Amino acid sequence: MNLFEFCYGIIHWLVDLVNNLWYRLGDVLPWYFGDFFTGVGDFAASDSHLSFMTILLESIIIILVALINVLNFLWIFRKISGRILDFYGPYYVGYRIGGWLQNLADGIKLFLKEIIVPTKADKLGFFLAPIIFVGSSLLILSVIPLSENFGLSTNSSGEYVPAGALFALAAFSIAPFAILLAGWSSNNKYTLIGGMRSAAQMMSYEIPLILCAASVFLLAGSFNFVDIVDAQRDIWFFVPMFIGFVVFLVCLIAEVEIVPFDLPEAEAELVEGWTTEYGGMRFGLFYMTTAIRSYAGGALATALFLGGWQGPSLIPDEIWFLIKAYIVYTVFMWLTWSVPRIRIDQMLGLGWRRLLPLAVLNLLIAAVLKTGGWF
Amino acid sequence: MTLTWELLVFLFLASTALLSALWVINAKEIVHSVIGLVSCFIAIGCLFIMLNAEFVAIVQFLVYVGAVTIVILFGIMLTRREIMESERK
Repeated sequence: MNLFEFCYGIIHWLVDLVNNLWYRLGDVLPWYFGDFFTGVGDFAASDSHLSFMTILLESIIIILVALINVLNFLWIFRKISGRILDFYGPYYVGYRIGGWLQNLADGIKLFLKEIIVPTKADKLGFFLAPIIFVGSSLLILSVIPLSENFGLSTNSSGEYVPAGALFALAAFSIAPFAILLAGWSSNNKYTLIGGMRSAAQMMSYEIPLILCAASVFLLAGSFNFVDIVDAQRDIWFFVPMFIGFVVFLVCLIAEVEIVPFDLPEAEAELVEGWTTEYGGMRFGLFYMTTAIRSYAGGALATALFLGGWQGPSLIPDEIWFLIKAYIVYTVFMWLTWSVPRIRIDQMLGLGWRRLLPLAVLNLLIAAVLKTGGWF
Repeated sequence: MTLTWELLVFLFLASTALLSALWVINAKEIVHSVIGLVSCFIAIGCLFIMLNAEFVAIVQFLVYVGAVTIVILFGIMLTRREIMESERK
């Protein structure tokens, strides 16, 4: 049973239950109400409404599962940074489970804080920027399937969103708009510089990222997550395209903006970068979205290069996928706390003069492998 | 005409595209016009999805919505003295 059938069952049962009561209510009332009641009930039981609600329920379940993993990621972030910098990390809140509840406590603290809007800020942009940033990041999560049975599909055949992997990359590319909007609308020179840096960095590191993804699409012959993972049944793509894998990881770190590439919020130069003027839960949303994008990056690297949900069938497929994504995230954290931040004048040079030729070389290797008939 | 979700979603997307396109012309701040431009592009991309042209829709998101950032950059760098237009006395 896949996720669509499960959700369809639940929605069908709910609609039947509600409609039963609804029609009875219509029988009691006078006829002109009764017609209206039957009309609404028929609409609720129609195919269009049932499948719409099923897809809604599916995406809610997928995003909730992903957000639980994001909580784990924040915990891993704090624990690993603690261990590498030689302190314990959080352990007091939720003592028995290694301080796992610390993130929930921080979330409650941020919810209780006042939201302060600067007087001269542009109200509309200041309000919209966090919404666009979080929304576009949740959009990435919704198309990433954890296994052949756990993903967003529109019918029971188990076919997922067409061109899902490309869609995830497209949703990745909306973020610099939100960041630049946040930086501009705060009306502060540091936030504006941070937004400018972020736009330059994200736009230029996106090109090698998409070129590396393109070589995977070339070898797999599809944009679909299921087909890409099926194509890695014999050999995982990071073996023939090791250069591409490394370039992909570096570009993902730059897209997510964690430490070796956190120039837009370099706290030594620009107070807190483009998040300077944000406080309370709006800052909390930005902070959480960084973790969401790290999870999405780890999941993309897993699906495109590390064989997705494939592994010995001792463990369920979904758990295999998550284990690989967690390992990728741990490597990110390892790099974060052991590599110094690059300077602003080296940023574009690294992107355009080092990573882009390597990505093109990787595409060439992929083309040779494809024409040589190995894939 | 029977009521379906498809019709409702189409009406929502079409009106979003039209209204935000009007807003692009009428907004005072140049960055507000860019917000309208983005919502117009996203609504048109969703209309492409409704027409079963998923690839065109994704390319619309990837190319147009992504490149709109550059429009803001030009808007900020070429047209202003202050950070915002409304601060000009």
